Amino acid sequence: MPRIHLGDRVDDGVSWLVDHMSWLFDAIKTVVEGMYDGVDAVLGAPSPLLMAGILAVLAWWLRGLAAGVLTFAGFALIDSLALWDRSMSTLSLVLVATVIALVIGVPVGIWAARSKTVSSVVRPVLDLLQTMPSMVLLIPAILFFGLGVPAGVIATLIFAIAPGVRMTELGIRQVDAELVEAAEAFGTSPRNTLLRVQLPLALPTIMAGVNQVIMLGLSMVVIAGMVGTGGLGGAVNESIGQLDIGLGFESGLGIVILAIYLDRVTGALGTQLSPLGRRAAARARAAGGTKAWEHRPRPAVAVVGVVVLALVAGGMGIFGSSSSGSVQASDGDIGHGKKIGIGYIPWDEGIATTFLWKEILQERGFEVTTSQYTAGPLYTGLAAGQIDFQTDSWLPTTHAEYWKKYGKQLDDLGSWYGPTSLELAVPAYVKDVESLADLKEHASEFDGRIVGIEPSAGEMGLLKSKILKAYGLDGTFKVVDGSTPAMLAELKRAYAKKEPIVVPLWSPHWAYNNFDLRKLKDPKGAWGKGDDVHVLARKGFTEDNPVVGKWLKNFSMTEKQLTSLEAEIQKVDKGQERDAIRAWLKKNPGQLDKWAPVGDAKTE
Amino acid sequence: MSSRLQAEHLYKVFGRRPDDAVERIRKGADREELREDGVTAAVIDASFSVAPGEIFVVMGLSGSGKSTLLRMLNGLLEPTSGRVSFDGRDLTALDDRELREVRARKISMVFQHFALFPHRSVRENAAYGLEVQGVPRAERERRADEALALCGLAGWESSWPDELSGGMQQRVGLARALATDADLLLMDESFSALDPLIRRDMQDQLLELQKTLKKTIVFITHDLNEAMRLGDRIAVMRDGRIVQTGTAEDILLRPADDYVASFTKDVDRSRVLTAESVMDTEVRGDEADCGCETADPATPFTQLCALSARLSHPVAVVAGGEGEGGERRLVGVVPRQRLVGFLGGRPGTEGGEPVPCDRPGDARGEKVISRA
Repeated sequence: MPRIHLGDRVDDGVSWLVDHMSWLFDAIKTVVEGMYDGVDAVLGAPSPLLMAGILAVLAWWLRGLAAGVLTFAGFALIDSLALWDRSMSTLSLVLVATVIALVIGVPVGIWAARSKTVSSVVRPVLDLLQTMPSMVLLIPAILFFGLGVPAGVIATLIFAIAPGVRMTELGIRQVDAELVEAAEAFGTSPRNTLLRVQLPLALPTIMAGVNQVIMLGLSMVVIAGMVGTGGLGGAVNESIGQLDIGLGFESGLGIVILAIYLDRVTGALGTQLSPLGRRAAARARAAGGTKAWEHRPRPAVAVVGVVVLALVAGGMGIFGSSSSGSVQASDGDIGHGKKIGIGYIPWDEGIATTFLWKEILQERGFEVTTSQYTAGPLYTGLAAGQIDFQTDSWLPTTHAEYWKKYGKQLDDLGSWYGPTSLELAVPAYVKDVESLADLKEHASEFDGRIVGIEPSAGEMGLLKSKILKAYGLDGTFKVVDGSTPAMLAELKRAYAKKEPIVVPLWSPHWAYNNFDLRKLKDPKGAWGKGDDVHVLARKGFTEDNPVVGKWLKNFSMTEKQLTSLEAEIQKVDKGQERDAIRAWLKKNPGQLDKWAPVGDAKTE
Repeated sequence: MSSRLQAEHLYKVFGRRPDDAVERIRKGADREELREDGVTAAVIDASFSVAPGEIFVVMGLSGSGKSTLLRMLNGLLEPTSGRVSFDGRDLTALDDRELREVRARKISMVFQHFALFPHRSVRENAAYGLEVQGVPRAERERRADEALALCGLAGWESSWPDELSGGMQQRVGLARALATDADLLLMDESFSALDPLIRRDMQDQLLELQKTLKKTIVFITHDLNEAMRLGDRIAVMRDGRIVQTGTAEDILLRPADDYVASFTKDVDRSRVLTAESVMDTEVRGDEADCGCETADPATPFTQLCALSARLSHPVAVVAGGEGEGGERRLVGVVPRQRLVGFLGGRPGTEGGEPVPCDRPGDARGEKVISRA
């Protein structure tokens, strides 16, 4: 069979779109960002408990007293898990994505219901959108819309739009043909047939679609978190990256609470909106009578309640603000509030240095934002100039693929740590396996299995192409593709049961602190020389910020400094990295001035 | 011109290249031939006219094309060929907007399965046509309530369709059609989904309403009894064609072909036939002179039987008079033999004298053992 180079075409198409249609994408981006900021500002403005109150009144009105009380409890729990801001930004993201999905999806669904041609064209497109793995769509989304919320919203939207279209089409098609004919027989125009007969009768089905859109949107939140949307998705990604089961569970719980709330509220909204639903509800009430926990306030009461709470919230927002902000201007104010964005992969040395530099630069008067990504989006964002720099680039081996693709659009500011090493490691309790050469005869102990990480990782490439060959492990060992968190979890499990296991690792890595592991020697030198950890900046960053560029170029850390900083960060909770950095800087006086000398800048 | 609604050479063909198909049918191709090519000829060359105030029934089995025919009358389906004119206007020449206007004001429709809007109350359903016309709320509710009262639903205005029985739901359907004051009522098997007693009720009520309203009605049914009961004239359809058009008596007494005749077999003749249709018009002239009870031409068959049982001679049928001082005139006689003959479904027995039994005495000789 001839090889069809479809992928190349797609590549070309994407680049063409990026080059020629950027005005369109920018416009979309502006709209989406504006919507998101607006919704987020509204949801985030009131103090958490007040907002929880507003959401609870809504639930009370739509579903009854019990729902209201549970809503309040649920959101109070989110607040007490210190996930409030993240939850509200996730909620905003989902709401914006849902609204856009419906604005597009419902009309398309109506159109599809009226025309067989449209329906048969739309259906495979929906299949594509719904089943194409979302990561595949995520990278183009970053190229088009940049990192952050718009890409996240678009990715969520693409994934979640299908049920909106399908259920609208289904709902309208399900309306009894005789009713539509009756409407026509009385001279109803097609438009009015749609508005007076088809849509009202299709509404329960359409609302079920809305519900599905929201649920799918929420399930996409974690993936959207990979492109820097933050929120609960970001928290989940962080915790996965660091194998922090506790945080992962907490943020997961936050998503669940949001999901249940949105599900019940939209369900009830469907009943309230559709005449048939109202009628059924009224009949049920007439039949059974109302219980105390089903009590619902009159709409007027509910609206007044929401308005009062919102006004209180608004008032508190006005009086409560202006407490934060205003960076202390010291003699070292070189940045004058200039904005710098740092991106990082949630690897320990990345987190440590990113927050270290955040602190240093803030100290020097810059306004610094940090956002977390997976490696692919991070490099894409950096190459597109949406991120200023990142500190955790492993070159020349581990990140070789990214460097090959984006190197020309990046500035290498040199290494600050090295050399690192790649290795296979076994727990210390595994006897007689000291070097890679020993693996072959012990293959059966390990079930002939090396528990690998992401197949895209540079280390995995080396492992499969060089190490296995060099030590004759080709037939005896199989490298299992997976992910870093999965590998670490498997390591943890095996370690607890003292089972033999062999995994690819690299130094520095916190696993060496947590577990007693043995790095397998590499007598043939097949791993090659170790990587150095580089700082990469977007093209033009050093021209824009010559002083910072110089600082970063001169930046270096010893293993002792790095591990002590990492240890300091391990001690504090997520989100409190700043305290850890400050504590560390206090223990290492003068280090800040050494890394970011003020005099240096003044002489320039 | 006495016709209000006129259909001229209507064809409806579903499938590819319908115009070609019509051409082929005109040249003599039959329905089966077309079906093999995936083309369905639903209605073939249908022509009829309906007079103002007339109930015109289209009768046929399912698949005979009667519902398709009905839908061409108000433009829900566009004829492949042919013309429909209503009040002198050619409906087939109207554009969509004009057609909708006609449907909103002039022609309304009652459906087999009622087609009530489940999300609207009974009143809102009845007012639907007026709402489409843009009649203000207060007026349309008043008129809807009137129409509901006319159909015997006063007091049910605020109920919901799903709270009503089938018969009541169809009354709402009827009220919805009447509320717009349309002149033409299209009724598509409107009573078929109701159980027999309710159906009878609804038929009676329709006839009662028709006495005062004098609408022009086209009524579709597959039930010949219903057709005979309601129809001033009846068109019988078979395989897309109208095979016979005429009064109930025409259909019953002079069926156009064996198909129609086979249809009429199960009809309850006693409800359709009158003295006029069964009488023997060859009279001597003195049959009514005896002072016994007589019948008039409209006397129903059952009454005629009762009359005949009381008399020892044929019943005389006398026309005219009726208190207007007009001249009473003998128009025919009905011998008992003839009554029994009609009931047995042999309408062609004029002059069919009883054949004499050749051995009347044998009945006594060889005892026939009869056990009833």
